[in-house]
Amino acid sequence: MKKLKPINQKAIELAGTTSQQQVDDVVAMQSVVGCASTTDPGWEVDMFGGTAGLCQPMEADLYGCSDPCWWPAQVPDMMNTYPDWSADAPSAAKNWRNLDSVYPGKE
Amino acid sequence: MFASHYRCGTLAGAALVAALAVASAGCGPSQPAATSKDYMVAVSRPNHLNVIDAETLEPVNRCDLPAHPAPGTIVMSPDNQVAYTLIGSFGEIYGLDIETCEVVFSANQSQGNERVRSIGAIAISPDGSEIYTHQNPTVMNSDHYQVQPTRVAVFNTADGIDAKAVRQFPAPRQVTIMKTGDDGTLYLGGPDVYAMDVSSGDYSTVIASRSIDDPQYSPRDVLTVWPIGDTSNEFIRMFSVVRFNGEPGDMDDSSFHWGYERIDLTTGEPTSTIFGPLEVVLFSGQTRPGRPEQMWAVLSHLKQFDVPTQTETRSLTLDHTYYCINFSTDGNTLYLSGALDDIVAYDADTLEKLGNVTLGGDMSMSTPRVIHRPIITSRL
Repeated sequence: MKKLKPINQKAIELAGTTSQQQVDDVVAMQSVVGCASTTDPGWEVDMFGGTAGLCQPMEADLYGCSDPCWWPAQVPDMMNTYPDWSADAPSAAKNWRNLDSVYPGKE
Repeated sequence: MFASHYRCGTLAGAALVAALAVASAGCGPSQPAATSKDYMVAVSRPNHLNVIDAETLEPVNRCDLPAHPAPGTIVMSPDNQVAYTLIGSFGEIYGLDIETCEVVFSANQSQGNERVRSIGAIAISPDGSEIYTHQNPTVMNSDHYQVQPTRVAVFNTADGIDAKAVRQFPAPRQVTIMKTGDDGTLYLGGPDVYAMDVSSGDYSTVIASRSIDDPQYSPRDVLTVWPIGDTSNEFIRMFSVVRFNGEPGDMDDSSFHWGYERIDLTTGEPTSTIFGPLEVVLFSGQTRPGRPEQMWAVLSHLKQFDVPTQTETRSLTLDHTYYCINFSTDGNTLYLSGALDDIVAYDADTLEKLGNVTLGGDMSMSTPRVIHRPIITSRL
C-alpha cells in the first residue's frame, strides 16, 4: 500500500480514513439496504445440522424468505429490488413454475 | 378462489355439508342466534385482506390492498372495524374498514430519499387514536446509502389518508415486534424487551435477553416477526437457549431448551422463563387464553408445553409448515396460519382437526388476527 497513491476523490478519502483509523462502526443492515446482511444457513440444514427441522415443503418458506430479503443469496430480494418477482405466483406451491430467475435491470 | 372445509364441533366428517349449512346459526339448531362471534383477519397474496368467520372457516369478505402484501402485519382498531396493515414492502400502512373495504387511513413511511422499512413492528394505542411503528430509515444517496438511527414513529389515525408522523422517538435497533399494554405502554421486542412511554419517548429494559450474562446459559436466540397473543392479551416471543449443566461452555454436558419472554398486557407484569425442551424448530407460540400454564407453539409441528414443569405434553406433526399460531377468544380452538395459503383449525382439547380454509394466495410472514365483534354479513 505504501507505493500506491490515491488519485481520485474516493480513493483519497479511503486512504485518509484507513490511515487515521476512522472507520465508522459497522452497523447491522437491519433496514436491509440493497439486501440483507443476514447469512443464516439456507434451506440446506436446520439448526441441528440436519434437514428434519426445515420448513415442509420448501415452498412454504419461499416467500417468508424473499419478502424480508432473509436469504438474498438464494432468493430475489423482494423488499427492495424485485418486489414483483412473485406477481404471477400467488401460491408458491401451486404456481412455482411462474417463478423465474432475476437479472440486474438497466437503470 | 376460496375453499373451506369445516367440521362442526365433534361431528364426523360425513356431516360436513350439514354442518356448513347450519354454521351461520351456530353448531346446532337449539342455540340462539349470536350477535357477535370470532373472526380471523389475514393478509394473503396477491394483495388481499381476508375476513373469515372463525367458527365456520367461511370467508365473509375480501378486500383488495393497495400495495404489496408484505409483511402483512395487522393491528385492529378497538372496535375491530378497521384493520391497520403494515404492507407495501414493509414501508406503508393502510387502514381498511373490514366490512366496506374502504381505505380510511394511509401512511407512506418513506419520504424523499429516505427509505423506511418496518419489519413486523406495528402497534395501536388502546383507544385506537394512534398507530406506532418501529422505523429503520436509510438515506438513499446516488452513490451510497447511509443507515440512519432507528426510531419509533407515531401516527394519528384521525389524520386519514396520507398521514404523516406526528412524533418520533429514538429507539433501539433490531426491533421486530411491538404491542401496547392496556395502560398505553408500548412494548418493543429487540435485543432486549423494552417499555416505552409514547408521550415522552423514554424507554427502559423490562426483560433482559441479549444483555443477560449468565455463564450457565448460552446467549438466547430469538426469532420473531409475529406480534401475536391478542386473545391472551400478551406480548410474547420465544427464545432458544443452551443450558450448561456442568462447566460453563461444556456442550458435552448441556441441554437445549425453549423459553418465552412475556408481558401481561393487562398488568404489565414481565415473565422470562424456560417452558420446555428444544427438540424441533418452532417459530411462534402463545399461551392459551385463560390457561397460562399451557404454552403452544408451531412450525412444522404443533406442540403443547406445560410451563410449570417445563415439559412437552402433546405434539402433532402437521401437513405442512405454518408460521403463526392463534387462539379463539374462548381458548378452545387453535388456528395455524402463515407460510402457504391455508388456515387450519384444531380443537385445543382433543387436537381434532376442525377444518381449514384456503385463501388462494400465500400468507407468507403475515400476522393474522382473531377478533370478536358483531356479526358481519357476508360480502362474498
